[in-house]
Amino acid sequence: MTTTENDLGWLDDITMSQLERNPYPVYERLRAEAPLAYVPVLGSYVASTAELCREIATSPDFEAVITPAGGRTFGHPAIIGVNGDVHADLRGMVEPQLQPVEVDRWVDDLVRPIARRYVEAFENDGRAELVAQYAEPVSVRSLGDLLGLTDVSSDTLRDWFARLNRSFTNAAMTADGEFANPEGFLDADRAKEEIKAAVDPLIDRWITEPADTAISHWLHDGMPPGKTRDREYIYPTIYVYLLGAMQEPGHGIASTLVGLFGEPEQFEQVVDDPALIPRAIAEGMRWTSPIWSATARITTTDVHLAGVDLPKGTPVIQSYGSANHDTGLYEAPTRFDLHRPPLPHLAFGAGRHACAGIYYANHVMRIALEELFEAIPNMERDTSAEVEFWGWGFRGPTALPVTWEV
Amino acid sequence: MTSTAPTFGAALGDRTVPCGPDQPLLDAFLRAGVWMPNSCNQGTCGTCKLRVVRGDVDHRDSPADTLTAAERAAGLALACQARPRSDLTLALDGPAAAAGRTAHPLRDLVGTVVELADIARDTRRLRIALPEPLAFDAGQYVELTVPGSGVRRQYSLANTADVDKVLELHVRLVPGGAATAGWIFDSLGVDDEIEVTGPFGDFVLDDAEGPMVMIGGGTGLAPLVGLARTALARDPGREIHLYHGVRGAADLYDGDAMAELAARYSGFRFVPVLSHEPDPDHRSGLPTDAFVEDVPSARGWSGWLCGPPAMVDAGVKAFKRRRMAPRLIHRENFTPAC
Ligand code: HEM
Ligand code: FES
Repeated sequence: MTTTENDLGWLDDITMSQLERNPYPVYERLRAEAPLAYVPVLGSYVASTAELCREIATSPDFEAVITPAGGRTFGHPAIIGVNGDVHADLRGMVEPQLQPVEVDRWVDDLVRPIARRYVEAFENDGRAELVAQYAEPVSVRSLGDLLGLTDVSSDTLRDWFARLNRSFTNAAMTADGEFANPEGFLDADRAKEEIKAAVDPLIDRWITEPADTAISHWLHDGMPPGKTRDREYIYPTIYVYLLGAMQEPGHGIASTLVGLFGEPEQFEQVVDDPALIPRAIAEGMRWTSPIWSATARITTTDVHLAGVDLPKGTPVIQSYGSANHDTGLYEAPTRFDLHRPPLPHLAFGAGRHACAGIYYANHVMRIALEELFEAIPNMERDTSAEVEFWGWGFRGPTALPVTWEV
Repeated sequence: MTSTAPTFGAALGDRTVPCGPDQPLLDAFLRAGVWMPNSCNQGTCGTCKLRVVRGDVDHRDSPADTLTAAERAAGLALACQARPRSDLTLALDGPAAAAGRTAHPLRDLVGTVVELADIARDTRRLRIALPEPLAFDAGQYVELTVPGSGVRRQYSLANTADVDKVLELHVRLVPGGAATAGWIFDSLGVDDEIEVTGPFGDFVLDDAEGPMVMIGGGTGLAPLVGLARTALARDPGREIHLYHGVRGAADLYDGDAMAELAARYSGFRFVPVLSHEPDPDHRSGLPTDAFVEDVPSARGWSGWLCGPPAMVDAGVKAFKRRRMAPRLIHRENFTPAC
């Protein structure tokens, strides 16, 4: 397709709040008219089709870069924004606990009691708001315990990811390449102070008394005896976890539920046959990708791609949530359909920087839905209000009220 | 992704798909519309792990971190990386596979009719003596072959597994039905030979220990009798509620046997429910509604349904409404024979 600069004048009018409310119409048009386009409000190129996102994620002509707002939020070296030896070291640090064989060993014992506990807290109430009372708590408690943050309450972990999220996705840029809303980072700065106040004492302890927690392993594993990784070196990756890894399984659980509620027959099938839960989750991830558009790549050389010249050092934001609605791959992509032809999706990204937590996250979401349907098979969505989704960088339902006969 | 001329067959469950020698198994299945778990498609997440039951694969670029040497030795493979080196039979390890019970071998036997009795309106009890014992689990079913026609019909066993030389079936007349109107209610007589194939089905006891509720429509009572007796033999204190749904009192049968069971086991309760011809001695309405009226909560219970599809569907809904865990809901999935 050939497009001239003028055709894309509409890109100038895109606003952050428009993208956060509902990014799909803009990205549908991007996929059709300019799958690789410079979006002024983001101050960046974005890739919006499945083919381009996959190509860019796996191309040797690109490497990872963190978005400006992401870098402002996490600092350096965050695992999502580094390459080469530092990336290899950080992947080597987080991967051992997330290997499938390792996860299989403990995931059920970790997650199932947590899911049960949260469902028991409301199962006799006849109503619940599943985002705040179930999806998010199960997600943060499981990972919190895995990391060693057992004494940090689930509500605090939820509060932290929400504040980091608003900062990380405070992406609006001015024409001069400055942050449009610099005050939008301040609340996360305060959250990070709280995080350090809670985590520093734990790190102090784990330095001298290693424990079987993920963060303790991060300090010690692969280091010469008596040495630990510097805490400033691992904090940015701790923030990656406290945002994405804490938040996204919760988004995934809630989005899958909303998708199923919209297709009552499929909801019934999945409740009746828990073996369908993984498939429902895969479709939920495609339908509303939790990490909708949060990571980026940068050219390592001059690149000509999709009719666009990208000089060396040009960042491109990956829009996996848009790629997963690509009509070139998926028929009627806005419909949640557990039985659609089974194609791979990009909800976990691709290439060297693909999500390190896929296996674990899929199991957390599976166990959470198993326990929920087991305890409350007669659940119905409270239809007195529409479900609202929010988010461009990270996306999911803001609330999901349900009712059932006790 | 490369697509090569299909050379091998890869089987998963009841689907066999063509898979080229250089094609990842995952690609072959997805292209054929067969879903299997997958996420990264680059060998790093482990989501697509499956078991090679028969045949040989080339693990290709499967990373040692995702698929360990021990897992390879145990026959596991990553579907997104592995290529076939022969025809394959594959299995997904999951809730379904984990259920893996020991299956009783399927047999073809020729039995002899030893009883053919009218026990209720349009309903016959058929007892078939076998030349040798048949191993089965209570709740399973057999197929009878209608002589001369090759037509096969499925009937649940009312037996417990220890009564393995004389099979008991309950048969309902279907007007114009080849097996019933044309045979069991017509030419069939005592001493006739009869071709039996079985056992089939997974409508069998699980290891749940809570109370049980069973709902049978018409001759759907048969497997429930075998299941209830078996469960009570295992645990004489077990709470079991057996509902028998029929149109009218004329359709009821085995009332005495049920009363005997209730007298012997204090936890056993038998409730006939009449849907169309109410009478003062019995509950009326649908058996699934009677359950909902009687049982305020079925949390921790298991449920058993056998009967016409509409009744089974209503039963699943009723059980879930009373918060029975769906994995503890069992249904006989074949449509009652005609
Ligand atoms: C449903 C839940 C989740 C989704 C949808 C998700 C999705 C993603 C995506 C899209 C990326 C970026 C990939 C790319 O840029 O190509 C990513 C990166 C990452 N995820 Fe996840 N994730 C989830 C849960 C988790 C969990 C629970 C953990 C850890 C326990 C985790 C750990 C990571 C890490 C460490 C990275 C950075 C990888 C790198 O840059 O090398 N994720 N995730
Ligand atoms: S899909 Fe991730 S290892 Fe195959």
